[in-house]
Amino acid sequence: MGLTKRLNGVHVDHSKNTAGMAIKRMEDPEKVYIPMSQNIGAPCKPLVKAGDAVKVGQLIGDSEGRISAPIHSSVSGTVEAVIQGMTQYGKTDTSIVIKSDGKRELADTVVPPEINSFEDFINAARDSGVVGLGGASFPMAAKLNIKPGSVDYLIINGAECEPYITVDHAVMVTYTRDIVDGIRNIMKWLQIPNAVIGIEGNKPDAIAAFREVLAGDSAIKVHELRQIYPQGAERVIIYETTGRVVSYGMLPLNAGCIVSNVSSVLKLQHYIKTGVPLVSKAVTVDGNIVVNPQNVEVPIGTMISDVIEYCGGLKEEPKKIVLGGPMMGRAIPRDDLAVMKANSAILCFNGDFAQQRKETACINCGRCVATCPMSLMPAKISRAFKDKDVEALMELDVLYCMDCGSCAYVCPARKPLNFEFRQAKAMVMEASKK
Amino acid sequence: MKKSKLQILTNGIIRENPVLVLVLGTCPTLAISTQAINGLGMGVSVLVVLTCSNIMISALKRIIPDTVRIPCYIVVIASFVTMVQLALKAYLPSLDKALGVYIPLIVVNCIILGRAEAFASKNSVIDSMLDGIGMGIGYTLTATVMACIRELLGSGTIFGHAVTAGTITPFTIMVMAPGGFFIFGTLIAIVNKLTKGKVKDKQQNKCLGCPGAAFCSQKVEEGGAEE
Amino acid sequence: MAERHTNLIVASAPHVAAPANTTSIMRDVLIALIPALAVSTYVFGIRAIILSVCCIIFCVFFEWISRKIMKRDNTIGDLSAAVTGLILAFNLPVRLPIWMAAVGCFIAIVVVKQIFGGLGQNFANPAIVGRIALFIGFAGPMASWVINSKMSPAILAVAEVDAVTGATPLGLLAAGQQVPTNLEMFLGLISGSMGEISAAALILGGIYLIIRKVISPAIPVSFLATVAVLSLVFGLDPIFQLCAGGVMLGAIFMATDYVTSPITTSGRIIFGIGCGLFTMLIRVYASYPEGVSFAILLMNILTPHIDRLTRHKTFKPAEGGAAK
Repeated sequence: MGLTKRLNGVHVDHSKNTAGMAIKRMEDPEKVYIPMSQNIGAPCKPLVKAGDAVKVGQLIGDSEGRISAPIHSSVSGTVEAVIQGMTQYGKTDTSIVIKSDGKRELADTVVPPEINSFEDFINAARDSGVVGLGGASFPMAAKLNIKPGSVDYLIINGAECEPYITVDHAVMVTYTRDIVDGIRNIMKWLQIPNAVIGIEGNKPDAIAAFREVLAGDSAIKVHELRQIYPQGAERVIIYETTGRVVSYGMLPLNAGCIVSNVSSVLKLQHYIKTGVPLVSKAVTVDGNIVVNPQNVEVPIGTMISDVIEYCGGLKEEPKKIVLGGPMMGRAIPRDDLAVMKANSAILCFNGDFAQQRKETACINCGRCVATCPMSLMPAKISRAFKDKDVEALMELDVLYCMDCGSCAYVCPARKPLNFEFRQAKAMVMEASKK
Repeated sequence: MKKSKLQILTNGIIRENPVLVLVLGTCPTLAISTQAINGLGMGVSVLVVLTCSNIMISALKRIIPDTVRIPCYIVVIASFVTMVQLALKAYLPSLDKALGVYIPLIVVNCIILGRAEAFASKNSVIDSMLDGIGMGIGYTLTATVMACIRELLGSGTIFGHAVTAGTITPFTIMVMAPGGFFIFGTLIAIVNKLTKGKVKDKQQNKCLGCPGAAFCSQKVEEGGAEE
Repeated sequence: MAERHTNLIVASAPHVAAPANTTSIMRDVLIALIPALAVSTYVFGIRAIILSVCCIIFCVFFEWISRKIMKRDNTIGDLSAAVTGLILAFNLPVRLPIWMAAVGCFIAIVVVKQIFGGLGQNFANPAIVGRIALFIGFAGPMASWVINSKMSPAILAVAEVDAVTGATPLGLLAAGQQVPTNLEMFLGLISGSMGEISAAALILGGIYLIIRKVISPAIPVSFLATVAVLSLVFGLDPIFQLCAGGVMLGAIFMATDYVTSPITTSGRIIFGIGCGLFTMLIRVYASYPEGVSFAILLMNILTPHIDRLTRHKTFKPAEGGAAK
């Protein structure tokens, strides 16, 4: 491909303790709390009320918004209440509380969709309830709803560059064939000539599995990514696999690419094959205090505390629980929150792992500059942010920061650099509005 | 706000010290303050020239046309500087030699031109004289104190009398330029502390303290900061 | 239902951090200086250790007291003051009176570092300014070199004639006398500032720092390469020029000071070349036999400008939209 520039990054300890573990299906919890806004875009409105009987896969929330994904019941049982409660994002939102009967009965509506045209395919993608499972939760149907033939690359993100998380790895090894079928479906209906599956080099078995299934198929390639964080970031994986540069404010679409997470493709394919929409999500449960770290397929809406309990509970009192990877995941204030579609890991920490960063003075060591994948100058941006110098922030291209946290990871002064830059970006946006 | 006569006189000593607060005439001050005697000699020379030129300029302020006032001030100042220089040559030749070119350079000393522009051209003869004396004393004190410190640290003497010389190796960098800047900065910090940071409040001085104000394109007329 | 935890720490990602922090970096620098200290102790005796310990104590004390007076957080725990103290000691003749060393520590820590805002804010390397101030301020004591029987015969030869001034290899060279052999120079069996004599020990420390990723090789390599190349240009022995004076100490430990050197690799190379260039110009043309500290100080002052010139280009499409 003749790449002229190698993007920087940072070598993070992989800590993939659960690698190679199969995904175990968790039994249904007593109750699930299904939040109504699980995607970027319009939240859903509840379609059921207290007392209604529901079954697995039954539509319980939907929205008319163009960018939205419907929500389905993850258990069979009775709707106990429709409540206002706190979500992972710290916002108060409508949730549907369903008391499970433990039978997992499928709804009558669960039948494989009939797909004869591009429109059918997009409708199926919407009905599947699939959102971007890499963490962005952008509705799949909205992502795929392009003019067929207008994109020449489908990039499947199997990098999983964050430490600890191994669910995508497990999914790729277990459901290789289904994922490939899913890719072929998307390529067929969207008329995309090429696809690349990007997998970080630390998952040789996944790479081998795909190469085996894809033998003889020249349209779909497997690209081994360097083992350096953040290979899975959208702009980075596009560049690494196709050499195309996507700028801030540009969609991958503008560069002729669609990027999708492997799990999203699998869930979509699963719906097309069986008619079961996205009602459960595989997550890695790990961290330094979990008794049995493992990968668990969790019904959407299960309390995080129930998932931890399923994994044998915690050895010690937790100090910090992170949803997603330790580099970009969110720390949540309490564990009685519901698992959502885009969750990929529940990491519980205490002790040194949960220590708060104690910031000291910048010593100008340049580690942040050497690691920024976007070639920004974090040390300078931090200084400009401290001075509230919007002009300098713009000049330093702070908007190109993708919040990967590499700079803050390496900073010996433990400055919360990407946190500062998030505020700096808000400052720049505010100023450019005026 | 009218200042009392006493205020005008004492103004220049600390509160509006020409060197440490108005930061005027830095170059000759740093250059000559290597020995206490030089500091004192230079200080007195400036005191005399400043007082006389302030009186003269104040007296002539109605006659001097506004457009050519700077050259006129220079002429007045230069006359007094020449007198002082001739007097030094006659009575204190060694001091004249030590101060060298810095005596004639008093002509373009920012303090004198600055006070002429900022004070003498706007105030009565008596007030201008008091201002000249006050500012002159402020300058003399600063130059002498700076010179004493530098001479003590850099040569181990004060006014030529051995204090630590012979017992402690002098730290000769103090009589060189870096030491001058260091002592200068330290004194500014001390004065800042004494006046509780009031000197930072450039609002009070506006552009008045700046000798370049007459030519400055960014001159702030009212209420603006100086720089 | 499982036990509830409602008091968890909420912090911004990333939730993990690289092992290196400011204190560990400074500790690595101290460790890297140990071989050179060992050679100095062998050559100069116990006085080398006394001077080093005194400088460290003074620097840490001045740091502590000035932070206290300025009512700022105490920062002696980051060990940066200890590093400054030890490097300053390495730049001094071993017989320098302790009170003079204290003056150097005061200038380094209080004047150069704390008055400008503490660690990270100083415009020049504190140890270098401390050394230069002492060098100019106490010219005599700063050039009185110790000579003893452990040193090269070439140095002992001048001891009879002129026991103090001409005893460093560069001094001998300037005076047109017999200089020590390159092996003696490399091992450090010569006279000079306390910590700069042994190129071998300093290189050992430098390799440790590079392996530990504390410093990048950009500055030392470009600095030393420039000195070597210019030595050839001026018709001098490059090995001698590299091992003489403070080049090794300067290139490995002082020019690489994060705060006062450029932030990008290209900037660091320019910085190193500049240091080498000024060092050789001063050695060849100026009246001082040695110019490493002046060269580094000059480049320290140019650092912000080098940083501006060598800014990384943001990873974005070339002007005019998407790159295909």
